[in-house]
Amino acid sequence: MTTESLLQQAESLLATMSRGSTRPETNRLDVVIESSGLVPAVSALKNARWGYLTALTGLDLGVEAGVVEALYHFCSDAAVTTLRVRLPRIGGSVPSIYQLIPAVGFYERELAEMYGVTVTGMPDDSRLFLPDDWPVGVYPLLKDFDPQSAQPVKVPPPPRGSSTGERFIIPIGPQHPALKEPGHFEFTVDGEIVTAARMRLGYVHRGIEKAVEQRNWIQSLYLLERVCGICSHTHSVAYCLGVEQLAQVEVPPRAQAIRELIAGLERIHSHLLWLGVAAHEAGFDTLFMYSWRDRETVMDLLETVSGNRVNYSANILGGVKIDITAEFAEAIRRGIDYLEERSRHYLDIVTTDTMFLQRTRGIGAMTREQAEHFGVLGPLARASGILRDVRVEAPYGAYTRFPISAVTAQAGDLEARFVVRLKELFVTCNAIRTILDNLPPGELAVKVPRRIPAGETISRVEAPRGELFYFIRSTGGDKPDRVKVRTPSLCNWTSVLHQAIGCQLADVPLLLAGMDPCFSCNDR
Amino acid sequence: MTTDPNYPWQTVFDKLKTWARVNSPWAIHFNSGSCNGCDIEILATLTPRYDIERFGVKLQGSPRHADVLICTGPVTRQARERLLRTYEQMPEPKFVVAVGSCAISGGVFQGCYNVVGHIDEVLPVNAYIPGCPPRPEAIIDGVVKLLESIKGK
Amino acid sequence: MTFTDFSPLLTILFFPGGLFLMGVGLLYEWLDHKLVARLQNRIGPRWFQPFADVVKLLAKEEIVPAIVNPYLFVGLPLVGLAGALTAALYVPLMGLPPAFNFPGDLIVTLYLLSLLTLSLGLAGWNTSSRFSLIGATRALTQLFAYEAPFLLALLGPALVARSWQVSEIVSRNAGQWLIVTQPIGFVVALIGLMGKLELPPFDAPEAETEIVAGALTEYSGRGLALFHLGKAVELVVGLTLVAALYLGGIGNPLEFALKTLGLLIIMAGFQSVLTRLRIDQTVGLWWRYGALLVLLQWVIWIVWKGLSL
Repeated sequence: MTTESLLQQAESLLATMSRGSTRPETNRLDVVIESSGLVPAVSALKNARWGYLTALTGLDLGVEAGVVEALYHFCSDAAVTTLRVRLPRIGGSVPSIYQLIPAVGFYERELAEMYGVTVTGMPDDSRLFLPDDWPVGVYPLLKDFDPQSAQPVKVPPPPRGSSTGERFIIPIGPQHPALKEPGHFEFTVDGEIVTAARMRLGYVHRGIEKAVEQRNWIQSLYLLERVCGICSHTHSVAYCLGVEQLAQVEVPPRAQAIRELIAGLERIHSHLLWLGVAAHEAGFDTLFMYSWRDRETVMDLLETVSGNRVNYSANILGGVKIDITAEFAEAIRRGIDYLEERSRHYLDIVTTDTMFLQRTRGIGAMTREQAEHFGVLGPLARASGILRDVRVEAPYGAYTRFPISAVTAQAGDLEARFVVRLKELFVTCNAIRTILDNLPPGELAVKVPRRIPAGETISRVEAPRGELFYFIRSTGGDKPDRVKVRTPSLCNWTSVLHQAIGCQLADVPLLLAGMDPCFSCNDR
Repeated sequence: MTTDPNYPWQTVFDKLKTWARVNSPWAIHFNSGSCNGCDIEILATLTPRYDIERFGVKLQGSPRHADVLICTGPVTRQARERLLRTYEQMPEPKFVVAVGSCAISGGVFQGCYNVVGHIDEVLPVNAYIPGCPPRPEAIIDGVVKLLESIKGK
Repeated sequence: MTFTDFSPLLTILFFPGGLFLMGVGLLYEWLDHKLVARLQNRIGPRWFQPFADVVKLLAKEEIVPAIVNPYLFVGLPLVGLAGALTAALYVPLMGLPPAFNFPGDLIVTLYLLSLLTLSLGLAGWNTSSRFSLIGATRALTQLFAYEAPFLLALLGPALVARSWQVSEIVSRNAGQWLIVTQPIGFVVALIGLMGKLELPPFDAPEAETEIVAGALTEYSGRGLALFHLGKAVELVVGLTLVAALYLGGIGNPLEFALKTLGLLIIMAGFQSVLTRLRIDQTVGLWWRYGALLVLLQWVIWIVWKGLSL
């Protein structure tokens, strides 16, 4: 179906609940609904299998307007339908749609703690990102938030879990060798079997979404690049695409191609990094060492091209600031050839090594239905047979010119996740070669005004871990009014915590690693 | 660790202790709010190209086994107490290394509402390794400089 | 006339027991780490690394958690190390005749070697940190898994020699490479040794990514150093035992070095190509395959012996 017909279908589905609808962009439909109409509206979309809920954005329209909006974004291919629920700034309330879409649990908790919106019927209303000592009734993303009001309050120490009785809780994190980043998990075990799983995020929550509102459009680019050190380029691409859309500028094709090229290299580095970490979690350190040794090849390439190994700063608003010379292209070709050969070897190992397969085959298997139910994204979804890849569903930037084929597998277990990610390396290598062979000539960047015209836009980009979602709103000033970042890891937690129940404790680290979690992405 | 001239073997013992300390710095890594750019570079120091085990550095899981606390990132409000607790769990003598711009000064995250500040507002830092993120070579260099400073004591 | 006649105290404290054995143990540990590092494409630690580690740990503050029984906390590492050191007195270290021997010392040696794992388990239980508890449970579960097959595998040579005494087995089987006639027993013994030492793939009791450092999570300083030394000693004793029983005995220091190093290289190879087994998989492996295969070996040997008589 075309984007247009998808949007028409959504509009007719939502006709009874709608209190007015607009088409802010060609691929978007905004439908204003009452909060009482939310559950019927979501059910209508869900029953018609119209896309999936990709994000929930809170939006404060300011003290004068006195309105906070909750935006429920649904995506189907390139079409985005947004349900806008308008609420009073103080005492607003929406019903929870957790029963319909379990993945919304985290989004609703975020909305509640950041905007003070009451979500009725939430199964878990504990803190998600804000610290334990955060005062009640202070909501950081409201426009009139005063940092002085957020002085730490005394909290009673959390009840210490005891090992008496049947409940024996294994805490993992925030400092734990399995996690290179801090998050806190509590697994209740019975012997070696996990019977319950809980998670506490927020150890890396820095408040980037708020900080962006205090920095100008260009400074925000560098801040957002540091949401995550592993997929930094993807974050800046998502932000640039959105801002360029708002500013109505056309990025030169060469810049678009270079963006895709760097994104490809970044995907290779991220997947090899993941392969090593996952192997380490499984206790296969030799594979960890080998994959990280080979990862240095792509790190060298990134350094050659951009001058930095991790935060490449390749993007500027309106284009890129680095060029791919013939010399660089040759280096990249050589590196890619080597990596492709090595990846073949690793694919061979993870699909044939019996000892390793004992730890991956059939473990954490997720059927297609379950994956859809939990709203998983990225390689996790593709390993369960769902073709969910923004580069294919809604090609952006250079992906229209250099299309990519999505890799899927059917089994949905850990082995399938290894296979999908490794096979993606081949696809990525081929895409990089195609780009190098057909690199369009021309300018690297166009000028973007310092003040971005007022408007709202959504940009979706496929990060190595899945769909990265940005909602950007400008009021015409030199600073963004709102930048909402929804990272793929946040969507995938629900499914993994669910799968952990019934697993062996020894499988849990690998299961967590299997989704390639990124806490700094999550927490922002 | 004062040397009493009346006991010459004391000097030998002290020298032996310092030698062992310099040659066996076991590290523990704590991320208190980093973008994980530094963390992947720290991990990279373990791998074949950099192989920090050559210098006796081992990444340990338990704070009880560690001599050096490698910190990355600014300190967030939620992580602050855990960072302190990890430091307190380490046996004496212990050292702290701050890796990356954020750990040193807060970096780009200065002024964010959930950031308490940089590492040395929370813990006494022995060595600073600048960079966003520092290269693995720089991290190794920083650790070696820390060891040099132990030798001098 | 053995070295022991000179002074038993000297034997236990310095040579071939005590300090000397610890030194050799640490050197072997370094070799093991170095080999694994080379197989992983790294350069690996310097030769004095384990020595520096132990000295540093001994010089470090020892934190005794508030909720533990302090006597057990301090005493258990000593018991473990003492067990491993005592075991060394009954095996032909360096090709020297065992310092002590009596009929049936093979069984005693094996149990002395298990003392380390037992005290490790108790130490973990005593610490009552959650990671330690799980580590202890796993260490003891694993003990029950490999102990019987390992014992059965070492009894194979005893059966051939018709003796339970290590020195006797070695002298009666001298020049006879039992690895040829009892290959299954050899493999089970070697892999059993890896289980005993909690080397990968049997490192579930100290699986870093799940339970931090297992039973030793709360140990710092001296206690950790002693357990570390105990492991190193056990490595040497275990290697000596397997080499003596299966590789045609140990006659002189050169033979000792060559045979034990050969075994160490094989073990390093296993360590670097295998993935960690879950504890249930470990137990399954030992009982389902290890024990049965060794018994099969016995049956074959007994039948063959019976036929040839």
